[in-house]
Amino acid sequence: MDWLMGKSKAKPNGKKPAAEERKAYLEPEHTKARITDFQFKELVVLPREIDLNEWLASNTTTFFHHINLQYSTISEFCTGETCQTMAVCNTQYYWYDERGKKVKCTAPQYVDFVMSSVQKLVTDEDVFPTKYGREFPSSFESLVRKICRHLFHVLAHIYWAHFKETLALELHGHLNTLYVHFILFAREFNLLDPKETAIMDDLTEVLCSGAGGVHSGGSGDGAGSGGPGAQNHVKER
Amino acid sequence: MAMTAGTTTTFPMSNHTRERVTVAKLTLENFYSNLILQHEERETRQKKLEVAMEEEGLADEEKKLRRSQHARKETEFLRLKRTRLGLDDFESLKVIGRGAFGEVRLVQKKDTGHIYAMKILRKSDMLEKEQVAHIRAERDILVEADGAWVVKMFYSFQDKRNLYLIMEFLPGGDMMTLLMKKDTLTEEETQFYISETVLAIDAIHQLGFIHRDIKPDNLLLDAKGHVKLSDFGLCTGLKKAHRTEFYRNLTHNPPSDFSFQNMNSKRKAETWKKNRRQLAYSTVGTPDYIAPEVFMQTGYNKLCDWWSLGVIMYEMLIGYPPFCSETPQETYRKVMNWKETLVFPPEVPISEKAKDLILRFCIDSENRIGNSGVEEIKGHPFFEGVDWEHIRERPAAIPIEIKSIDDTSNFDDFPESDILQPVPNTTEPDYKSKDWVFLNYTYKRFEGLTQRGSIPTYMKAGKL
Repeated sequence: MDWLMGKSKAKPNGKKPAAEERKAYLEPEHTKARITDFQFKELVVLPREIDLNEWLASNTTTFFHHINLQYSTISEFCTGETCQTMAVCNTQYYWYDERGKKVKCTAPQYVDFVMSSVQKLVTDEDVFPTKYGREFPSSFESLVRKICRHLFHVLAHIYWAHFKETLALELHGHLNTLYVHFILFAREFNLLDPKETAIMDDLTEVLCSGAGGVHSGGSGDGAGSGGPGAQNHVKER
Repeated sequence: MAMTAGTTTTFPMSNHTRERVTVAKLTLENFYSNLILQHEERETRQKKLEVAMEEEGLADEEKKLRRSQHARKETEFLRLKRTRLGLDDFESLKVIGRGAFGEVRLVQKKDTGHIYAMKILRKSDMLEKEQVAHIRAERDILVEADGAWVVKMFYSFQDKRNLYLIMEFLPGGDMMTLLMKKDTLTEEETQFYISETVLAIDAIHQLGFIHRDIKPDNLLLDAKGHVKLSDFGLCTGLKKAHRTEFYRNLTHNPPSDFSFQNMNSKRKAETWKKNRRQLAYSTVGTPDYIAPEVFMQTGYNKLCDWWSLGVIMYEMLIGYPPFCSETPQETYRKVMNWKETLVFPPEVPISEKAKDLILRFCIDSENRIGNSGVEEIKGHPFFEGVDWEHIRERPAAIPIEIKSIDDTSNFDDFPESDILQPVPNTTEPDYKSKDWVFLNYTYKRFEGLTQRGSIPTYMKAGKL
């Protein structure tokens, strides 16, 4: 099997709260929270004649560190008991080990697998070279896509399962800012499959519409084709 | 969900989580603030390039080449920014300076071959003396000061035990070492160095900083012999004798070291020189260069730096600072009684203009020259003939003789130290819990990429 993640319609654990209660992150008072008003669309665009791989490496490394940091604030509350699966809405994610074997695990285990594997990649001199003159591997872009898919799962889980704690810790503005930046970056360089991110389209729609004019008009549910601006860019090589 | 709905007023969390929250907030807020800044700086650099190329009237082909070169440098800078710099990235070549709370080494970046000065400061000294604000101050000054008058800081990073600043290497050494070699300077030489230091101090005053520790060891000389300031704030006020409480039980009575006072100027100069190097290392220090108002309840302002410059000027011409003594307490008394103790030895020749300027620098702050602005200083007769606009482009008063870019002959020799040696964990205090205090200490400067040293052979081969 390829790296494509199969969505499972497995039954959620225990009783399931109503959808309205679970999506506190969609409340207008919460979606307004940010830590900067800057237009991220401008910030994510590849600067003139800059090497694309270096730009991807620089941003991906930063997103890894910040998503890891954001998760660390609620890791105390993300336990094997509270999050028996890596769940976001009615979807569960499974980890696939290096031999492609599907691994059933709790959310904290899944996040640990993600963070360990990404840490290993970003500190691998052969994948993310730091020395002067070293080249990126030819598979670099596909590795970045894999990293972004896993980081998206972590962000989505924080929103879905731990937004209440994030709110109580007054980190929802930070989370929203990080999410918007991440999504706009991934869209700019086609790093996330729109089908993969459809699960958070309701939030993305609200957060990104005021953060760079990606959606000039409401397009409703774009589950099938993604946002209108999602793939409308030319990559410079 | 383990959490009950609603109430956020008594949200239970562990200390670990509380700490993680603090780190996350600081990190993300700093990051987004800096991200926007870096975006704007990158665009500014691009625009400057276009303007410069237009002014030079370059052909389109040449412009294209310059844009590619610039983009390559920007790409290299991006890589540098995601690189976690550490000690392993640098080869230590020689110890070139030592202070009370750390030292300075000549180092070479292993992958590029570039030569730098690495300043190393012990975290334990900083934290035990609650000097976190000063740490922030030096880093911030060095980040903001992009002019000709301040030593450039290219990178900063830390590990468990130390803070590291990677600075440009200035092979000319420092003014203290120069004065130890020459004993005194001529009035023409003094005019040159004081003029340049006036411009340097004014540059940092305009940035809103007070140096507060102007002294010969903090005046560095670049490869062409021009002055640059260093050592901002990081150790300011750290030496015991630089703090008011050191003299709490001391009166302001006149000094009583009669035998020292009655020495002739030559003997005083010899004594000063003999003790000078050791004094620079001392954690106690001496208030020789500190303005009297710094020790008073009335507070002080940026004019205290001009007092220090007056003391340096006196030392350049006479051979020792005006208030030097055998103990910091005696020096303190002399400083506080400057009206009586600031005298010129009759046997040392000095012009009236030089005397007058020193006395205009070393006077109470209300009447100090520079009170109405730096132009008041520049207009003093001692600076007659100084070309303030072009002094840095002209030849320096004393040329620097160096044979290579990593020549350290203008520095004293220092024995190796253990500041970089690993220490067994059992004996090392755990400062990890306070590491967030040094958050965002890491910094990398775009111009760091232009600091050229010798490139290792294998890299040259690789480039061809």
